[in-house]
Amino acid sequence: MEVEPISQPPVPKVEPVKSADLVLGVVAEIDDESLIALCDSLRTLPGSPIVAALRNDHAGGAAGATSEASEKVPSPYFVPWPSSKTDDPGTPVVNVATAYQSAFSVSEQLNARACCIVASTIENAKPDWIRELVRPLLEEDFDLVTPQYALRKFEGLLNSSVISPLTRCLYGKRIRNPMGPDLGISRRLFTKLASEKTGGVGNGVHLVASIAPGALCDNLKVCQVLVGPRTYPPPDWTNISSLVSQILSPIFADMEKRAACWQRTRSSVPLPSFGKPVLLSQDTGTVDVSRMVESFQLGNRDLQEIWDLVLPPSTLLELRKLARLPLEQFRMPNDLWVRIVYDFALAHRLRTINRDHLLKSMTPLYLAWVAGFARDAEAADAAGVEQILERLAVAYESAKPYLVSRWRWPDRFNP
Amino acid sequence: MWGEIKQALALSTERFLTRFADLLPGTAALLVAVLISIVLGFLLAAIVRRVLTSMQFDQRLAQWGFRSSSEWPLLKSPTLLISRAIAASIIVAGFLIGIAAFDAEWTSLLARSIFAYIPNVLGAVLVLVVGSVIARYLSRSVLIGAVNLNLNYARLLSVGVRWLVLVLTVAMALEHLRIATGIVELAFGILFGGIVFALALAVGLGSKDLITKSLERDAQKVSGEKIEEPFRHV
Repeated sequence: MEVEPISQPPVPKVEPVKSADLVLGVVAEIDDESLIALCDSLRTLPGSPIVAALRNDHAGGAAGATSEASEKVPSPYFVPWPSSKTDDPGTPVVNVATAYQSAFSVSEQLNARACCIVASTIENAKPDWIRELVRPLLEEDFDLVTPQYALRKFEGLLNSSVISPLTRCLYGKRIRNPMGPDLGISRRLFTKLASEKTGGVGNGVHLVASIAPGALCDNLKVCQVLVGPRTYPPPDWTNISSLVSQILSPIFADMEKRAACWQRTRSSVPLPSFGKPVLLSQDTGTVDVSRMVESFQLGNRDLQEIWDLVLPPSTLLELRKLARLPLEQFRMPNDLWVRIVYDFALAHRLRTINRDHLLKSMTPLYLAWVAGFARDAEAADAAGVEQILERLAVAYESAKPYLVSRWRWPDRFNP
Repeated sequence: MWGEIKQALALSTERFLTRFADLLPGTAALLVAVLISIVLGFLLAAIVRRVLTSMQFDQRLAQWGFRSSSEWPLLKSPTLLISRAIAASIIVAGFLIGIAAFDAEWTSLLARSIFAYIPNVLGAVLVLVVGSVIARYLSRSVLIGAVNLNLNYARLLSVGVRWLVLVLTVAMALEHLRIATGIVELAFGILFGGIVFALALAVGLGSKDLITKSLERDAQKVSGEKIEEPFRHV
């Protein structure tokens, strides 16, 4: 029996490129056809920019092979990633940070006007919304374009509960996804970020966490683009504490680095936005939060010795009261959650205990917030969820004097 | 008769005075050695304290999982404890050197044997310090990990791990000090085995539900049933 040869996908040609207008770094797995379609879509932008796409060697077969698609048109060019991201052991944040750094280096080498990183899976990251991420860079001279994903109410909870409202409160700009991960970056910004590679973005400050705060502190032009939904991986319940630690550690480390900048900011203003909002259907069924409440109650019982070192007595008292509430009435007040986040950020700075222990011990508190949020949001529509998150963001801003006081005088100001 | 008594008394007085006079240089040397060691001890302690303070030693120790300075039961700060321990050991060393200056056979023997024992004491102290740091770090790691896994016996596990490491540490320290090595080995074996057995029983009895749930989850995975989980954290 004769086996039919399997038709191979077109293999793009790896060109010795000298320059490009736009560098596209696709961190997610992508086949060559999709990548070519994506690059073709970007070339329809005004001025027909020359696009250089970073591609994985293992995805495209032998380097140097000629493809029909790439022979037809002079652009896009395909450049292999300078470092293989998939071989790097370590946390996801570190790997994505390595990919970002590689993309910035290549963009610098090619003297590109802009760089766009696509970290979402390509099924979600449609060519049109990647084009929208790039457009403000090339047409409006923006330095950083962040996405505003269409969210289902229980998605991106760590971003909704800490990262977004904290960044908004600290730097005075209402940014929804400061950590991307899909981002558009101008030459001015990526040159600065690439130079920081040797200039010491160390000390636990990961590149991904410091891009938006750095741009906001330097008064660069930042905007948001309303894009479609992302696919989020389902949670591994045994690993949430590691996730919390990995994500929050660079956020808090960056906060420490930019203390002089954020202590000057008082209120917040909205960022320029582009694109149309994408409305998603929101489930309105009840959700089971008993597991998260149990986790909090267990933490409240057994982690007191650690929380005692981090949280002031008034907060501990409120947590004890919260732990006694029945499941139906379980809600973590916004101001309590905000003070907890601030106190953990301060303890991270002061190294009150081992930082990994510190952030992992925050997990039951985070789950308590999620449980309360789920109770409030389970019957709410998209606008209702938006209101809940807005109230949380306002609570962050209202409690900023508390953060500044504790940050400046950690021993003297301990309510 | 009276003359003989007088002569004997004079002889014994002379002998006493001679012995006493013999002791005087040694006593003076002892006093000088102690005085010098006191000055040296406090000087060195001050230097060590300053260096450790500039290194933020207390905070670093807390970061490694040791109790923070405010909870230190013996002294308020590990920096202070170390500097005072250094001062005390220098003073003791000065005293021993001073005793050796008496040039008496027993004092020099005593001093020599004490000096020979000092490395053992230092080794045992080091083992105890490192052991207690490791015990605290591991017990805290276990406590946080177990709480995040929703294990009801998290504290028990944590205490068990702390005592396991502490028992091992104390046994190693006593072995280093060469104190009743046979008894220590036996006692250590019994205690260590006892703690492990107690932990195994506690975890075994306490984790029935956990294992049941885990098996159910695995069975659902195999049968293709999807566990619907609406929450996405990142």
